[in-house]
Amino acid sequence: MTIMPRLGLDASVIAIMWKREMLRYVRDRSQIFGAVSRTVLWLVILGFGLGAALREIEGYSYAQYILPGVITLNVLFSALQCAIALVWDREVGLLRSVIVSPAPMLSVTLGKLFGGASIATIQGAIPLLFIPFLGVSTSPLSILMALVVMFFMGVAITAFGIIIASRLKTFEGFGAISNGIIQPLYFLSGSIFPLRGVIGGVGFLDVPAPLRDELRRLGIFAIGGGWVVQLPLFIQVLVYINPVSYQLDLLRYVLLDFEQLPLAADLAVTFGLAPVLAILAAASVERMLRRRR
Amino acid sequence: MVAAIVASDVSYRYGDRAVIDTLSLTIESGEFFAILGPNGAGKTTLLNMLMTVTHPRGGTVSIMGHDVVRETAAVRRALGVVFQDPALDDRLTARENLEIHAVLYGLPKAERAAQITQALAWAELDAAQDRPVRTFSGGMKRRLELTRALMHKPSLLLLDEPTIGLDPQGRRHLWARIASLRESGMTVLMTTHNLAEAESCDRVGIIDHGKLVAIGPPAQLIAAQGEGAKTLEDVFIALTGRNLFDESATGRDRLLGFARQGGEFTR
Repeated sequence: MTIMPRLGLDASVIAIMWKREMLRYVRDRSQIFGAVSRTVLWLVILGFGLGAALREIEGYSYAQYILPGVITLNVLFSALQCAIALVWDREVGLLRSVIVSPAPMLSVTLGKLFGGASIATIQGAIPLLFIPFLGVSTSPLSILMALVVMFFMGVAITAFGIIIASRLKTFEGFGAISNGIIQPLYFLSGSIFPLRGVIGGVGFLDVPAPLRDELRRLGIFAIGGGWVVQLPLFIQVLVYINPVSYQLDLLRYVLLDFEQLPLAADLAVTFGLAPVLAILAAASVERMLRRRR
Repeated sequence: MVAAIVASDVSYRYGDRAVIDTLSLTIESGEFFAILGPNGAGKTTLLNMLMTVTHPRGGTVSIMGHDVVRETAAVRRALGVVFQDPALDDRLTARENLEIHAVLYGLPKAERAAQITQALAWAELDAAQDRPVRTFSGGMKRRLELTRALMHKPSLLLLDEPTIGLDPQGRRHLWARIASLRESGMTVLMTTHNLAEAESCDRVGIIDHGKLVAIGPPAQLIAAQGEGAKTLEDVFIALTGRNLFDESATGRDRLLGFARQGGEFTR
């Protein structure tokens, strides 16, 4: 069904390319294993291990604090991996036959983009299974909102990956790219350290929940001890220019009711960046095909 | 009847090197035509132009009366393509690969399932339709590619080295299928390095350094070459020389090499 032929939008093509990505995902157990092992490593081992030293961050346990970060890490990995597979697909895979078909490339790219974002959302949801063990009180609505945020984050990162992949000739640089992109985006997003506030406090988590909420409203986040976070200026700058910081902050807000950046900026970046990068990704694929001409 | 392919003074350059040099060629509807040439002669570039992936820098190319630059969608609908290496998704089943093709070519939804079943039967892959393509032999993949290329009922079939890597049984099976297409009146254009196979074509065109150096029925080309030539291979060597034509590894070659060294997880 062609929905907007002039723009090259065909719902059937978008749907079949999305379905293809999903079928590939469910048949690739290594991706699922990777997401589970990343979650266990970061959330359980680092969360509880480092949490023993850091105690509390603004009244949250360290494992609770990094939960949105671990979700973000899974989204980053799977979205970028899905996008970078474009290189393989273009040189030796199905994409060669797609390119010579009459199907509009914009729809093909959107199908891949939504497929990558859907997989990233599923992978990102894996840490949510650990919520009962982390003592996070959340509602079905919060979970649903978190899934929406993850999907938009997935669209943005998959699109970003497609833009890179459309310029890559081989996979030889894949390791460098994944390390050189995922790690800075992840570490400089406030995923594992707070941007401001009090850490290392003791006893706040033992206060009954209603009283704890009341203390938070009064701006009290620690009872015994603790120290104020003072990040070096260059780290602050890098965190503030990293779009993932805002996506992660919104995720933290919907899951923990706790944000460190202006909520309006979180919403603008999360829901504004995804369509912009999607358009740029479609343009990059078009340019990749034009270069071949 | 409109000619299947008309190329007029077509040129394409990579930097200073003319890959296709003012090449003109007409292939009539219903013809079985082979393009021959040493490595680097320009066969792939010419095929890419026919597939609308590469645009000519000079001259014009039309397929079934449609210009490859201005009427891309019409040209693509008229073409069925079988690549030298399978362009399949090997994690999907044969049926799923055909389903994608059916959607990409806009086959009516109500007819898709029946057409896919028919295509699988034609390729004798009914029993393997729900197996992932990665479990298929080279011959099975080639049959699947051929039947996929025919699913949307193209007017012109492009075969890039169709029998490369196939065992004798696989080759015989594929030729039987191609023979049935010839009988049905389909235009078939293939590239090949197997000159014995090319001798069964209606006409062959030999390309060297981007130019068409000979064209005609194989028997006529052999006769025109004189007493020293007994086969098409003799004609080919006489026209293109005995020097080896070495090419650099392409991005595709390097990618496959990387995958073989353990990078395949990145697929």
